Amino acid sequence: MSTEIYLDYAATTPLDPAVAAAMRDCLEHEHGNPSSQHAAGRRARALVETARAEIAARVGAPAERIFFTSGATEANNLALKGLLLTASSLARAGAGAHLVTSTIEHKSVLDAARALEDLGVAVTYVPADPLGRVAPGDIERALRENTKLVSIMHVNNETGVIQDVAAIGSLCRARGVRFHVDAAQGAGKLALDLGSAPIDLCSLTAHKLCGPKGIGALYVAPGVVLAPQVHGGEQEHGLRAGTLATHQIVGMGKAYALADPKREAPKLAALRDALWDRLRVVPGARQNGDPQRRAPHVLNVTFPGAEGESLRLALRDVAVSAGSACAADSPEASHVLTGMGLTDALASSSLRFSVGRFTTYPEVERAAAQVTAAVGRLRAYASGAPAWCAT
Amino acid sequence: MEYSPEVVRRFDSTLRAGELKAGSVGLVSGEAEDRTLGVWVRFQLQVSDGIVRAARFAAFGCPHTIAAADCAAERLEGTRASEIEALDVRAIQRELGVPVEKLGKLLRIEDALAACGRALPKP
Repeated sequence: MSTEIYLDYAATTPLDPAVAAAMRDCLEHEHGNPSSQHAAGRRARALVETARAEIAARVGAPAERIFFTSGATEANNLALKGLLLTASSLARAGAGAHLVTSTIEHKSVLDAARALEDLGVAVTYVPADPLGRVAPGDIERALRENTKLVSIMHVNNETGVIQDVAAIGSLCRARGVRFHVDAAQGAGKLALDLGSAPIDLCSLTAHKLCGPKGIGALYVAPGVVLAPQVHGGEQEHGLRAGTLATHQIVGMGKAYALADPKREAPKLAALRDALWDRLRVVPGARQNGDPQRRAPHVLNVTFPGAEGESLRLALRDVAVSAGSACAADSPEASHVLTGMGLTDALASSSLRFSVGRFTTYPEVERAAAQVTAAVGRLRAYASGAPAWCAT
Repeated sequence: MEYSPEVVRRFDSTLRAGELKAGSVGLVSGEAEDRTLGVWVRFQLQVSDGIVRAARFAAFGCPHTIAAADCAAERLEGTRASEIEALDVRAIQRELGVPVEKLGKLLRIEDALAACGRALPKP
């Protein structure tokens, strides 16, 4: 029997059994191509459209404005590149089309932004404050006459801090600037109403919500024109070519249908708080991120004096992250935490815990006990170390 | 990051982490650090009659650093004090299966032992 305690729901989640059942049923019985006109194709198309409607309902969007992608990374790339690399903006690239984002975005946004810089797009990276918040006023001050897009995440994947996307979106609307929100970490866990929110583009994913990996979507508001980034077919109204992965889409639809922020968020917050109650007694332990404005499932804690890589090995039976799983192969400290002002040593002595649908209180207690013991052991190893190791 | 079984074994069960009794005769100490690499290592050696009788280490660093320091401390015991700087950290790196990109951290072990060497009483 596995003794692993899984507290890494912000990286990915286990498949909900109901999602698995829906996907299995699709795989076993519906092999048609949703683009085909025959009966098998029409049945597959119906499944796709049902899933699209389920996702749209969860985020308050018209179903026809949801476009499937391979995940949030592709959706983020499509949003940024699709908007900024249209023929007209390319022609003006020399004059410097402008993008505003923050220093604490997910790697898929930051790397897309850097790729755009290589193509002549000017990018402003707005810093976060020490609590991990991106101030709407800072975004406003970064806007220029030629700003075409602002991209800010809804919930930070490392700290769980909720950004004020309503305020940022409103100021973008007032200035006629398009606004993209990476909602991979928040959709389905927090209420999101794209029908009323001042958001033009919104990236979604399934696998953070007990759905399958390899499927996501981009919400595109009416009137927003994007240049496709994948060519080779007219799927998704020509915006994203490629045969639709029916079973993945069915799984995403089921995951969004099952998601119920009003019911689930209090349970997740209680688990997170129970974990913090047990970790806060570790001398020097401190939370990262605004404790008043964060998603219910994420807890980021610094344990000064416990070296990060050793801490992770000592906790190998507790699945947690030292930052984004998408950057886990990088030896560098978390760009999110250093962007909030932590030193490299403190950032690397930090762990992200994230609870989810199947987390239990006994798991939280066992994990906290193991963390406490590991931190104590590593601090004992480092007895007499210079101050920089813990500051 | 992947770790060899030997690195994991030593990391889980370090035998020579800790401190020797402060103020005891023949105690020498040396430390080294590289802040940019996030590593600090200190060795304490109990030397009598020119022989290292006991060795302990303290470290803030990755599992490879801790395992290598534990291995180094073990090997130092019983060697001539005049030979502590000859300890081959690269050999330990190879034996423990430490990735070459971690060599920079492990070399701080050599630096700490060199500091111990300088602290030895002159004959």
